[in-house]
Amino acid sequence: MRAALLCVLVFFCTTVAQARDLEQLAQQPRWQALLHINSGATLRDRERSYVDDADFFLSPEGATNPVAELASTVEALKPPAAPARCRFPARYRFVAESLGWQEAEPFTHCAEYLEWRRSVHAKRAVLVFPASYLNSPSSMFGHTLLRLDQGDEDSAVWLSWAINFGAVTTEQDNSLFYIYRGLAGGYPGRFNLVPYVQKIQQYSNMESRDIWEYTLDLDQSQIDWMIDHLWELKEINFDYYFFDENCSFRLLELIQVARPQSGLLDELRFAELPVNTVRALDERGLVTDRHYRPSKEVELIALSERLDDQEQALARRLAADPALAESEAFRSRPPRRQAMMARTAYSYVRFVNRKAARTEDIAGRSFALLTLVNRLPSVEAPALPDKTPPESGHGSQMLAAAGGQRGSDDFGEVTYRLTYHDLLDNRRGFLDGAQIQGLGVTLRSTESGAARLEELDVVSIRSLSPRGRFSKPVSWYVEGGLERAWAGRRRLTRYVQGGAGGSWRNGPFQPYLLASVRAENNSDFGTLITPGGGAEAGMLYHAGRWQWQLSSAGHYFSNDVYRHRSTLAVQYALARQHGLRASLEREGWRGDGETEFKVQWRWYYD
Amino acid sequence: MKKVLLAAALLGASVSAQAVAPGGPGCGWGNLIFEGKSGMPVHLLATIVNGTSGNATFGMTSGTNGCDTSGALTYSGESLLAMNGVLEEVAQDMATGEGEALTALSVSIGVSGEDRAHFNSVMHDNFASIFPRQDVSAGEVMQRITAVMQNDQKLAKYV
Repeated sequence: MRAALLCVLVFFCTTVAQARDLEQLAQQPRWQALLHINSGATLRDRERSYVDDADFFLSPEGATNPVAELASTVEALKPPAAPARCRFPARYRFVAESLGWQEAEPFTHCAEYLEWRRSVHAKRAVLVFPASYLNSPSSMFGHTLLRLDQGDEDSAVWLSWAINFGAVTTEQDNSLFYIYRGLAGGYPGRFNLVPYVQKIQQYSNMESRDIWEYTLDLDQSQIDWMIDHLWELKEINFDYYFFDENCSFRLLELIQVARPQSGLLDELRFAELPVNTVRALDERGLVTDRHYRPSKEVELIALSERLDDQEQALARRLAADPALAESEAFRSRPPRRQAMMARTAYSYVRFVNRKAARTEDIAGRSFALLTLVNRLPSVEAPALPDKTPPESGHGSQMLAAAGGQRGSDDFGEVTYRLTYHDLLDNRRGFLDGAQIQGLGVTLRSTESGAARLEELDVVSIRSLSPRGRFSKPVSWYVEGGLERAWAGRRRLTRYVQGGAGGSWRNGPFQPYLLASVRAENNSDFGTLITPGGGAEAGMLYHAGRWQWQLSSAGHYFSNDVYRHRSTLAVQYALARQHGLRASLEREGWRGDGETEFKVQWRWYYD
Repeated sequence: MKKVLLAAALLGASVSAQAVAPGGPGCGWGNLIFEGKSGMPVHLLATIVNGTSGNATFGMTSGTNGCDTSGALTYSGESLLAMNGVLEEVAQDMATGEGEALTALSVSIGVSGEDRAHFNSVMHDNFASIFPRQDVSAGEVMQRITAVMQNDQKLAKYV
């Protein structure tokens, strides 16, 4: 009797499901997610699929018509040995669940898919965020990828897969034109799947980037949706746009397939920064755990910092000549200290040669040092710096209001900056000594005149990383835009400038010295572009919520004009999204100069 | 081998290279632990757009030491060691007695959770015999690990 009732029920449900309008089914969030329909997250391609590949659609109008695509899909997937099932396992699951198809083993004829699925499976999904890397334009804001863990143990992540979305380029493409194309959407983007260990090597070892890992709140069934759908994206082309439809954005689309109700892509997401992706997931409660993976450089510095000065020097010499382990100077130290020195020396050899070709010498020294480490007593790993996660930093956009006095003129000023951080902004969650600013506009109004453009900052990147005994990075900067400067009178000038040099750390003080060149165009200088050369010296100092900068820069131009600017500025971090800044600036030129004082309130958002 | 060939054929990759010699000519076992350049060659544009150069890989091994890169990644202990840069990390973890590379190796060999600390300490104690010289190859290392495990009461059951 019970069985009969069940049969009736199943039959009833099935018929209802079958009778359900395809149109309604096509509106379901998961179907929309499976087709990557833009529901308003970007301005381009509204209400159509982001996928830019005819192979992905079974209906000729599939890219723009989810209903037609669903109808074609149902038809193609229905026959028991349909080849389409092997291409679209996630769609099959959706259709089968919605229409009540019941087949125990629908994929028996899909050997390739089953083989792949046997090696790609996961119990846990993790969003991975390698932090900013100033030396590569695309990575300045960081990058994101997804990691699939085969087990739920933290320690076995070397066996995990990494899902990465990136543009597909060919070996021949390396001119500036192609870079432009890459940024402007000229290349197709694709998902790929590589062992996670390769990503650790690329980011943590080669590029010295810290990596943040966020465990996502996805259950087994949701993870399976994602993996099955990933298979559907094999060799499928998307557009790749640097600013919005980038790596981070596509990962949100993938997570949307796993959790279609998450609402991740409902709002407009212009200029999708990886850190905002993390925030979006965090705000929706999708992040359950967070893990910090220090770069090899951070590890090396932590190792070296527990040595005293003499030991550091000895470790450096040991790295160059492991035979020093037999010397009296080394052996007179307690075994534990010897072990710490050997460990540091080994890390140093690996770090310095991380990009070098293999030589007999490097291999020999590495091996000798490891053997030494193994022979000496085990010492615990050094404590790592307590880093604030990037998503707890200030917002990426900024509005500021300021008032001040220049010469004898009072002024008021407003500033908007699209992105992202300068050396004085609230430092919590950001890389120390790194500045990335893009599209900042300042309008100033004085008592004696109407509001006018004071500054247009197109781009300004600075990397001031301290040099030490074990790591010797170059500090550099590039910037360009419009600013007011002295040329006969105060004028709007157009300029690009850049420089390189070094920076050092002494407790909370970080002095730096840079040589620089500048090319300028203004209405006073006779030539269209006037080149100049100069130098900049300065010092950063931070204590608690206070961040100070003292700097002085001067340029001498080819038309015998000389100009310099010295600034003392301080910012107090009022709260995560608010900062108060004061600055005193002296701009000087041959025979005269002007002084400016300014107080500014900065509000970060987004 | 049969499985690898099957996987290669299924994934549409070159099987001929495999037919010549297991893993293809120039494949890993002759490679040293301390190779220099690890990872893919850095390509300017690929770096800029976070992309990949040439064909995007999709869950197949790549970056093994000159080996044919077509087989599905199986994560047996040996194929893990053959990946670029892994052997070096394993050597470092064995020398110190702990680390993610060593854990990954023990997991891929099938060592259960409760024996893992023991595995680590046995590997640490036998570092010198597993890595006798700087130019030891991945294949040799795997053989030596197996030999060490066979001589250990608790670990013998895993090999």
